[in-house]
Amino acid sequence: MIKTLFKKQMMETFSWLYRNRKTGKNRTVGGAVAFGLLYLGIFAILGFVFYGMAEMLCQPLADVGLGWLFFAIMGLIAVAMGVFGSVFNTYASLYLAKDNDLLLSMPIPPSKILAARLSGVYAIGLMYELIIMIPTVIVWFLRYPAEGWTVLFTLLIPLALSLVVLTLSCVLGWLVAAISTRLRNKSAVTVVLSLAFLAGYYYVYGNAYSMLEKILSDPLGAGETAKRVLYPLYQMGLAAEGKPLSMLIFTAITAALFLLVYLVLQRSFIGIATANRGTSKPKYREKATKAGSPDSALLRKELRRFTGSPTYMLNCGLGIVMMLIAAVVLLIYRDTVSEILALIPGGFGEVLYLMAVGAVCMMVSMNDISAPSVSLEGKNIWLVQVYPVSGWQALKAKLKLHLVLTLIPGLLLTAAVEYVIRPTLWFVLLIPAVTVLYILLTALIGLLVNLKIPNLNWTSEIVPIKQGIGVIAVLLGGWALVAAMGGLYYALRSILSPLAYLGAVAALLLLADALLLRWLKTRGTEIFETL
Amino acid sequence: MLKIEHLTKTYGSRKAVDDLSLHIRPGEIYGFIGHNGAGKTTTLKSCCGILRFDAGEIFIDGTSLKADPLGCKAKIAYIPDNPDLYEFMTGIQFLNFTADVFGVGETERRERIRRYGDMFEMTESLAQSVGEYSHGMKQKLAIISALIHQPKLIVMDEPFVGLDPKASHLLKQTMREMCGSGTAIFFSTHVLEVAEKLCDKIAIIRGGKLIRSGTMEEVKGDDSLEEVFLELEDDHD
Repeated sequence: MIKTLFKKQMMETFSWLYRNRKTGKNRTVGGAVAFGLLYLGIFAILGFVFYGMAEMLCQPLADVGLGWLFFAIMGLIAVAMGVFGSVFNTYASLYLAKDNDLLLSMPIPPSKILAARLSGVYAIGLMYELIIMIPTVIVWFLRYPAEGWTVLFTLLIPLALSLVVLTLSCVLGWLVAAISTRLRNKSAVTVVLSLAFLAGYYYVYGNAYSMLEKILSDPLGAGETAKRVLYPLYQMGLAAEGKPLSMLIFTAITAALFLLVYLVLQRSFIGIATANRGTSKPKYREKATKAGSPDSALLRKELRRFTGSPTYMLNCGLGIVMMLIAAVVLLIYRDTVSEILALIPGGFGEVLYLMAVGAVCMMVSMNDISAPSVSLEGKNIWLVQVYPVSGWQALKAKLKLHLVLTLIPGLLLTAAVEYVIRPTLWFVLLIPAVTVLYILLTALIGLLVNLKIPNLNWTSEIVPIKQGIGVIAVLLGGWALVAAMGGLYYALRSILSPLAYLGAVAALLLLADALLLRWLKTRGTEIFETL
Repeated sequence: MLKIEHLTKTYGSRKAVDDLSLHIRPGEIYGFIGHNGAGKTTTLKSCCGILRFDAGEIFIDGTSLKADPLGCKAKIAYIPDNPDLYEFMTGIQFLNFTADVFGVGETERRERIRRYGDMFEMTESLAQSVGEYSHGMKQKLAIISALIHQPKLIVMDEPFVGLDPKASHLLKQTMREMCGSGTAIFFSTHVLEVAEKLCDKIAIIRGGKLIRSGTMEEVKGDDSLEEVFLELEDDHD
């Protein structure tokens, strides 16, 4: 029985390899192999990055007798990677599994169901952890001979370390479950937490090498601290150097940790799996409502869809936050930016203004709110089709939302840029004009692509948001367009001044916007009405 | 109120509705029955302007649906068999959205939300997200939203599916009341007993073609509707 359960769990855990999430159909053998190789390639690229890090740390630490610290640091990173990769899987497979009711109704002890579920989390954690541990072990054995217990222990350590990943994932998964089911305004909380996580990630990423350099400048001091704070990893490091007692201690610690979590989960599994842990249901109290026009109702509907979905906000509206951050950073560090610009011999001249508007447009491209908006109607499409509103009114609401949410931060960023670079009068007018026209272009292109290739039959909104061609077209296509515009200026620089070039770009954008708008009002509307 | 003339709708090479004509007068409850895939939903969706049809004409209150779709839609309410509503809205937000789109004034909407909300025991739940509603609650919300603008024509596709007995009874009562005030109702159902008790007229469709229509007496005579329906089905096999 347990074998069947494990098999089912592994099929479920790794279904992304052999099943197309968009269509729900199994891939062909060739498709699955190609998809597997693609992921293997991505993991290999990541592995090379960590190989470089391991190379940097290995010898300096081993030379002063701190080989264990090398393993401890890499182990710590592996745990972080494993938890990062498996925490959301834990949440979904442990606490939100769709077949919990089915399995609990079968003659299977809950402990076995739990064990099978945890095996999936363990496998995912191990997969992510190996991205770091494989290069770590390779670097070690390239420098030091593989002898004694070292070979066996370095093979066993990733397996035991995954128990730490599993333990932390279970605890964090429980936290994610608690946050997402108990909080009322969970969309906003999820977005804030995700942004905080992103900020933390970029902080660590930005400071990783200085942290490592700090460790390398005082390895003994770092070793002492690690011994105190990360005792299990200290024992793990010693085990990797071939000490059997340390291997025993490390395994015992990880096993004890896991056992503790398993026992707690086992006691509460049925409760967790079957409880309705939602918030107390709010009761409606009649309030004065203000009647609005159909157009404002449609716009509010689009806004509610956007703010009601963390996935939509994070994937298609990240540019809002980034533009605001960029504007604030520019204002705070305006003197530093000016000093850096002054250091460039001869300066950029008016080309600087072109570069500035290009940078603003690149950030604008990060907002692709309109791109999945048609697909997001999904099975609700009948509502706008049966209500007395035209297709153009529905599309206009989608367009307006994109414009409102992008124009405000976009123009604030433009104002900050102009404040710092102090352009001449014509550029003062042209930079925001080009920004506005470019924002309209991205909104229109998003709608055009989505109308041409809509997907209304999704079961998870992730599909139109993350896998929609429109989203990719606006993001990458936008960047490519800005790069192409840069290249075009370079080609034409001898015949066109930066001012004339930007004026021409504005005219071209205006023409493209007008044509796209006309298409949207006619053919686009017709397509929408017959979807 | 609803006049369907020679309606034809094809999907690829298959005729889903073939030269169908019907006339539903104000205050009539018109039942629409047929086996699965007979063309009921296609006909209903065509009447609401969701589906475009290949041939024929549909008139709502004398206005051509093709010529003035928005004017026609303003007089219609549609309740689908599967109420896929905006799950990111609360119940009250959805009702206000519908009221805004149909241009219902503040006083009227408040009174109607209170009346129909209380009637279908939904008032307390209106602050909840639609995503948290059960199928039956979504169906009730769809019904309330359909009644909020006091339509002249209500088109319903299997409206009793998912409703509890009390809500089902209330819906039938509301349908009668609406008809009393001149609203026409055109609905499909598989529950022949309900159709027999509730409808003034009935239409039977098979393979996209209308095989019988008229008053209940004209269609079934002294037999039960079930007997007539099964007999007609056998005749056409």
